[in-house]
Amino acid sequence: MPAKLVVDRLSHHYPDEYTGEDVHALDQVSLSVEDGEFSAVVGPSGCGKTTLLNILAGLLPHTEGSVQVDGREVGGPGPDRGVVFQEHAILPWRTVARNIGHGLEIQGIARSEREQRVQEFVDLVGLSGFEDRYPHELSGGMKQRCALARTLCANPVVMLMDEPFAAVDAQTRITLQEELNRIAIATRKTILFITHNVDEAAFLGDRCFIFSRRPGKLKATVKIDVPREKRIWKDLLSEKSYTDPRDEILRLVREEVFDDEE
Amino acid sequence: MSFIKGGGIELVLLIVGILALWSVLSQNIPNPSRYLPSPVSVVLSSYDVIWKGLLPNYIGQTLWRLVIGSAIGLLLGIPFGIALGLNRTVSDMFYPIMNFFQSISGIAILPIIVVWWGNSEKTVFVVILYTCFFPIAFNVLTGVRSTPMILVNALRTLGASRLRIVKDVLIPSAMPHIATGARLGIGYAWRAVIAGEMLAGRRGLGWMIFTAQDADLTAQVILGMVMIGVIWIMIDRFALRPIEADTIQRWGLVQR
Ligand SMILES: Nc1ncnc2c1ncn2[C@@H]1O[C@H](COP(=O)(O)OP(=O)(O)OP(=O)(O)O)[C@@H](O)[C@H]1O
Ligand SMILES: [Mg+2]
Repeated sequence: MPAKLVVDRLSHHYPDEYTGEDVHALDQVSLSVEDGEFSAVVGPSGCGKTTLLNILAGLLPHTEGSVQVDGREVGGPGPDRGVVFQEHAILPWRTVARNIGHGLEIQGIARSEREQRVQEFVDLVGLSGFEDRYPHELSGGMKQRCALARTLCANPVVMLMDEPFAAVDAQTRITLQEELNRIAIATRKTILFITHNVDEAAFLGDRCFIFSRRPGKLKATVKIDVPREKRIWKDLLSEKSYTDPRDEILRLVREEVFDDEE
Repeated sequence: MSFIKGGGIELVLLIVGILALWSVLSQNIPNPSRYLPSPVSVVLSSYDVIWKGLLPNYIGQTLWRLVIGSAIGLLLGIPFGIALGLNRTVSDMFYPIMNFFQSISGIAILPIIVVWWGNSEKTVFVVILYTCFFPIAFNVLTGVRSTPMILVNALRTLGASRLRIVKDVLIPSAMPHIATGARLGIGYAWRAVIAGEMLAGRRGLGWMIFTAQDADLTAQVILGMVMIGVIWIMIDRFALRPIEADTIQRWGLVQR
């Protein structure tokens, strides 16, 4: 079976708005994500992670290299690739239920079927009872659950997530990580998950891509062989199959960060 | 209403105070009926115009012009502002131009409009339309431009068409600006309609003030001025402000 998501020798340059100088953000990145695989991307700040995600999402056009989803070259945004942004991406003037059903509304799904599917995802992300609330009435963690449900509900082929839990407190973050793992088991989605947090990458990922400093290159790939069902924080902290790859990722990331400080 | 709940008594006292000061002033100047008639004589003079049915008639005329003029202004200004806001280059180009025209008040363009269309009903409407169009379109444009890019991108990744993005993101996001633009625009239009009526009206409150001054009926001039202020406060308090507050609140954009 061919990989769901294939990035081949992708490079990206930004023209700097003020100096006109060229910012080399991505350099010859090649990677692939299998069907149903949960991949994590870590790397120092400014290494081009968001750039990669925007290109995959089709929000940023690419000029060098190729990006394929389900065998088709990416040429703009589309509902086959769902994105969960860091924060503030759900519409403040729509209720939770209407935000979650927005993708289906766009796809022209009839109201009765839509409501049924929305309810399914409201329940899946634990927002039952909040269907008719507006985003400003929700906590940060609940807003992100809503954003996650909106993306899932549209049933994309791949899910792209850009540090979706970075803006919530540590306790909520742990809960959300366990919930996302549960959702990954339930939906078997192909996921590319960007994070700064090494523990998060190792906890969630089947495989972790480590990026070098800018210009971002794929520096290493680390496999994490822990069955999804066993990924619960209190059991995992002393589990070698988790701690070994986590330490390896940490070492690789540190090399980049310490180089940076010299 | 908030002014009844809190500060109501203070407000009444303040108005009484102003009226008293006004009375004292008018009793201590020579020829008050020409320079500053007392509140009592203003009320008495109003008896005459109200009784003849002129005042309600004039107010009706002025309001009708305001309603029609600003309705057309909204109908043209809102889509125009949205259309300009869709494209960055176009909106960057138009922004200073809109700002320029917005700054030239209705009174300042009145002379040239009179040159073009004379003292006609058309002149009054053109001035109202001009005056409310630019602040409305300008605010709508600002609202569309200040829509967070991430919301637009989120909808694009859900597969939304351009039209859908306009309908589901840009318009709701610009809604508070649209409401503010409408309130400002109609406020300017209210001033413009009075000015327009003075120069080219033949009817209406502005016309009443103008003719009263000609006939040396200062009490009626003051009556007209007071009516302009009172009517505006009512329009603002009971129509425009509630709409503005309601939109902002309903769309969940209040910061708590
Ligand atoms: N629109 C842009 N124009 C110019 N340069 C940009 C633009 N967007 C990003 N960059 C630059 O490209 C590089 C990569 O940015 P990117 O946002 O992809 O990094 P990142 O890995 O997501 O960082 P972080 O972890 O801080 O989110 C950075 O040096 C950034 O300054
Ligand atoms: Mg980023």
